[in-house]
Amino acid sequence: MTTTDIGPNTGPRETVRRPSRFLRNLSPKIAMLPLIFTACVVFLGGTLWTVLYSFTKSGLLPRLSWVGLDQYERLWSSRKWIVSIENLALYGICSLIGTLVIGFTLAALLDRKIRGEAVFRSIFLYPFALSFIVTGLVWQWILNPELGLQNVVREWGWTSFTFDPLNNPEIVMFGLLIAGLWQGTGLIMCIMLAGLRGIDEDIWKAARVDGIGTVKTYIRVIIPMMRPVFVTSLVLIAAGIVKLYDLVVAQTSGGPGISSEVPAKYVMTAMFGGQNLGQGFAASSMMLLMVVIILIPWAYLEFGGKKHG
Amino acid sequence: MARAISNRKKIMWTALSWGIGLLIFFPILWTFLTSFKSEATAISDPPVWFFFDWTTQNYSDVLERSNYPLALMNSIIIAVGSTLLGIIIAVPAAWAMAFVPGKKTKDVLLWMLSTKMLPAVGVLYPLVLIAKYFGVMDSRILLIVVLMLINLPIIVWMLYTYFREIPGEILEAARMDGAGLKNEIIYVLTPMAVPGIASTILLNIILAWNEAFWTIILTTVNAAPLTKFISSFSAPEGLFYAKLSAASIMAIAPILIMGWFSQKQLVRGLTFGAVK
Repeated sequence: MTTTDIGPNTGPRETVRRPSRFLRNLSPKIAMLPLIFTACVVFLGGTLWTVLYSFTKSGLLPRLSWVGLDQYERLWSSRKWIVSIENLALYGICSLIGTLVIGFTLAALLDRKIRGEAVFRSIFLYPFALSFIVTGLVWQWILNPELGLQNVVREWGWTSFTFDPLNNPEIVMFGLLIAGLWQGTGLIMCIMLAGLRGIDEDIWKAARVDGIGTVKTYIRVIIPMMRPVFVTSLVLIAAGIVKLYDLVVAQTSGGPGISSEVPAKYVMTAMFGGQNLGQGFAASSMMLLMVVIILIPWAYLEFGGKKHG
Repeated sequence: MARAISNRKKIMWTALSWGIGLLIFFPILWTFLTSFKSEATAISDPPVWFFFDWTTQNYSDVLERSNYPLALMNSIIIAVGSTLLGIIIAVPAAWAMAFVPGKKTKDVLLWMLSTKMLPAVGVLYPLVLIAKYFGVMDSRILLIVVLMLINLPIIVWMLYTYFREIPGEILEAARMDGAGLKNEIIYVLTPMAVPGIASTILLNIILAWNEAFWTIILTTVNAAPLTKFISSFSAPEGLFYAKLSAASIMAIAPILIMGWFSQKQLVRGLTFGAVK
């Protein structure tokens, strides 16, 4: 909004001259070193190690006795793994869409300059300050049929009301989803709100002059303008989905039966519960492969073309 | 932003927002209320809301049966330590990316961010092995390092977006006035970057505080932070909701209090990359 703002594309930074050419070229590289080093050693090294050992017979301890693709065959013939993958896909899609839609709607609501916005915003962010463990516990309890929501609604007179997701294998993932959305939406709302605030008021005026309705303006004009905001949100939500673990452990422990198992939990059980390291490695390599398959085309589209800047 | 909204409409929107706000706040409120109930009142049917005999028995029970002070201390040390360590590593990198961008800067940033999306279980076992090799399992230093690594991409990314907003002309002007690289950093860059760094620190303390996946696996007793404290509490005390609520409130209270006092920076921190 002010003239001192510099967009990411305008290039005065490139023309900045350092006193010494040598220093200019060297110092940024040195500054990047610790980062590159940690990232390479830990992420790349660790991941490669895991992939390598996924082709071995490792049980209680990692051993280099090759068994080819045996671990993967076992993995994909395991009912528990298939259920885990299906669950994660369901949770991932629902939580992605749910968080974006609810987050944006609430941000648009707050953007109406309502009274007490600051307080409201803090209330909304509170769940984010809770770890998934506490979130899981609290919601396990609210969704408990005898103590929580179902009981309260029946108390109010709607005696046939039934909402017991945590004991129903068909909908148990939605019980987790509610807790996940409750925890994560506030953050996305805040990011979206900041994005909405960054949009010039003139756009709204122009839309009004052209006689475009509010909803239509949001969909056709505002949302396309908020592309970077959506990318930020997407990265954060996706990172949360892949590591879905603690919420499940605290809320359902994978039950009833195996109906709310997730891949990360499968890995943990194989590694630390079943003393079956090879399975754990194969499962984590599989997760890695899936993330990479989804990530690469998206990253290419989003960052590959320099057109968006 | 003086969008013309009629008064009646405004009241309606406000009421709606507050309704939603209450709905969202309700679980925390309920936990808070339950923590002051006796076990019998906690599961009474119909539920009692405000009018019961308030008791702090649950809190003293929890304090008696577990080592809350140690867990709290561990949480503070681990969250603050990992964040500060991350800042030390990330500031130079973010500075380099923002002010001396090379051809590869964008790729490095993208690659770094993508590590955040990779499944953590992929590096879990190698890290456990390394920790065992160095004999640092269940130690604070291990958790500080691991949580720093986990949150490093976010730290760099946030700092980068803040640094990028600092106009390059200011540095140029400082240089024309004869400021060297050292003075430039101390007198020009740092004061301008402080709000961004503060927000980054706050957000990452929360992230590290809530990190349960790693803390539960890598600790047993000595370095166990509050996430471990609450998860270990939930198993044996599973049916004692009042005590569990008290333990939950004790686990989240420090971070909620910190959040309350630093709201402004926090919201700024939470909106990283999105503000203009």
